[in-house]
Amino acid sequence: METIKNALDFSDFPRLDLIIAVLVLVFLLLFPLLPFSAFAMATMIQFLMFSIYGMGWNTIGGYGGQVDLGKAQYVGIGAYTTAVMLIRWDIPFWVSMPIGMCLAVGWSFIIGYPLFRLKGHYFAIATIATSLVLKALFEVWTFVGAARGLEISPIKYDPPDFLRLIFKEDVYYYFVILGFFILGIFYINWFRKSRLGFQLRCIKDNEAVAQSLGINVRWAKVKTYAIATAFVSVVGSFHACYIKAIEPEDTMSLDISILIALMAMLGGAGSLWGPIIGAGILIPLKSYLKEWLGATAGLVGIDLIIYALIIMLVSAFEPRGIWGIIEKIRRRRRK
Amino acid sequence: MALLDVIGVTKDFGGLRANDDISFSLDKAELLGLIGPNGAGKTTLFNCISGLYPVTSGEIIFDNEDITGLKAHDVARRGLARTFQVYVASGDLTVEENVMVGCFMRTRSRSEAKSRADEILEFMKLRDLADYLVSELPVAAQKRVTMATALGSRPKLLLLDEVAAGLNLSEIEDIMASIRSVHKEMGVTVMLIEHVMELVMKISDRVIVLDYGEKIADGNPAEVAKNPKVIKAYLGERYVREHAQELS
Repeated sequence: METIKNALDFSDFPRLDLIIAVLVLVFLLLFPLLPFSAFAMATMIQFLMFSIYGMGWNTIGGYGGQVDLGKAQYVGIGAYTTAVMLIRWDIPFWVSMPIGMCLAVGWSFIIGYPLFRLKGHYFAIATIATSLVLKALFEVWTFVGAARGLEISPIKYDPPDFLRLIFKEDVYYYFVILGFFILGIFYINWFRKSRLGFQLRCIKDNEAVAQSLGINVRWAKVKTYAIATAFVSVVGSFHACYIKAIEPEDTMSLDISILIALMAMLGGAGSLWGPIIGAGILIPLKSYLKEWLGATAGLVGIDLIIYALIIMLVSAFEPRGIWGIIEKIRRRRRK
Repeated sequence: MALLDVIGVTKDFGGLRANDDISFSLDKAELLGLIGPNGAGKTTLFNCISGLYPVTSGEIIFDNEDITGLKAHDVARRGLARTFQVYVASGDLTVEENVMVGCFMRTRSRSEAKSRADEILEFMKLRDLADYLVSELPVAAQKRVTMATALGSRPKLLLLDEVAAGLNLSEIEDIMASIRSVHKEMGVTVMLIEHVMELVMKISDRVIVLDYGEKIADGNPAEVAKNPKVIKAYLGERYVREHAQELS
């Protein structure tokens, strides 16, 4: 009961933030009523997916300060669990998604425990390495389709199939992922003020102080890493049903891991809204730049340059991202 | 009855012996001062007792239990809290939230941690600053926050590492009053490292002096201040001359 109350308690934010948040939420709910292109809808779904990835990353990477560049391996575990179970045994999404989550969390404990002996850059490198190793394994594992991957053929099902999450129109997918998105916000809102959330922020600032306050630093990190993993794997499962074709290259590549981390850092690591702001800027930018500049003007790859430039500028001027800039301005005003 | 027994603790860093065969015992409800020149090994000794450093040899008994070799967080859970010279729990958190981190050692519930933290803030006279970020506060207030955070964990023994460093005279008076009330009213046993002699000599029941990692004196403040070894290593002739009256 107290948990639910705390999850719904946003009272420490200024009223302006809450008004904007409500307006954005209303827009998200009404978006499907607006005249939208298929491209805009796909972009919105991507935005919601990456917001949730970012929220998950933000627990360990933002609040805990442990830069994790291997989240893609958990996208892969979620996506593959759902796809394999659906194709081989016709197990619906709502069953395979929690199973995928358990598998991903189990895997995160197995690699998290030894990995958290490492600190800083070494930890970041090790997360990349484990993710690449898992991807390489999936590329040769024939049970999961090896490098060709798996394909969910929609003809076999009768859309809209709410159990298996097989739809013809993207708008159904949109509402499913929007539901996860809203749940995610409530969870993080609870998390940031929970015991573990406070302990993590202490760990981020100084591990010796954290230990002397009775915090088992390694265990706290492993637990949080598992929470981050759960977020990512749920969206991975969704990804499998939504895209319907998965292969190691596009679910588990380093690009995805880095994109997840960068988005959260751009928006503001260690803040509730940061990952959403980051995804809200980068995802539309990424897809529209690609569309306009790549297809129209023939400037393939320029989107990546612009994209990299923004990230460099933000990290040079305010390492705490856009949310950091907003807070700085506010604090100056208060004085 | 002894709450803490340090028996022959030695700590080497490579070729450097930072603590050399140090033994002492600390009774329940005692207030013990630890002084000595810079580099004498005072903070190292704190780190050994609180489990941050493994000792090279020796034993540490806390509350009738051998805590030698326990991890720092396990030592803390047994009721041995400490502060650090410069650090609070987190500069990103407010004063109240910092103290809550300490309280979370004993409870999982946020509301319980919060009400406990509020009590301690009241006790440490930090109520008015509860909603400030710790990084926004002056040094004196930060020092009080570190003490309050450590108290959040309901310790039996509190190790204070230079809580008066960098404070002006009236701030020193304030923190001294706080230490006294923590000791008397909360009934917490206190051991403190301090360079501010006015503070140590006034409030300690007993003082231990370290020099080059060795214990060179152990006794009540007046005795220690007359000890020629201590005068030579740390206090200096002038201190003794100026404080001759108080010390006799």
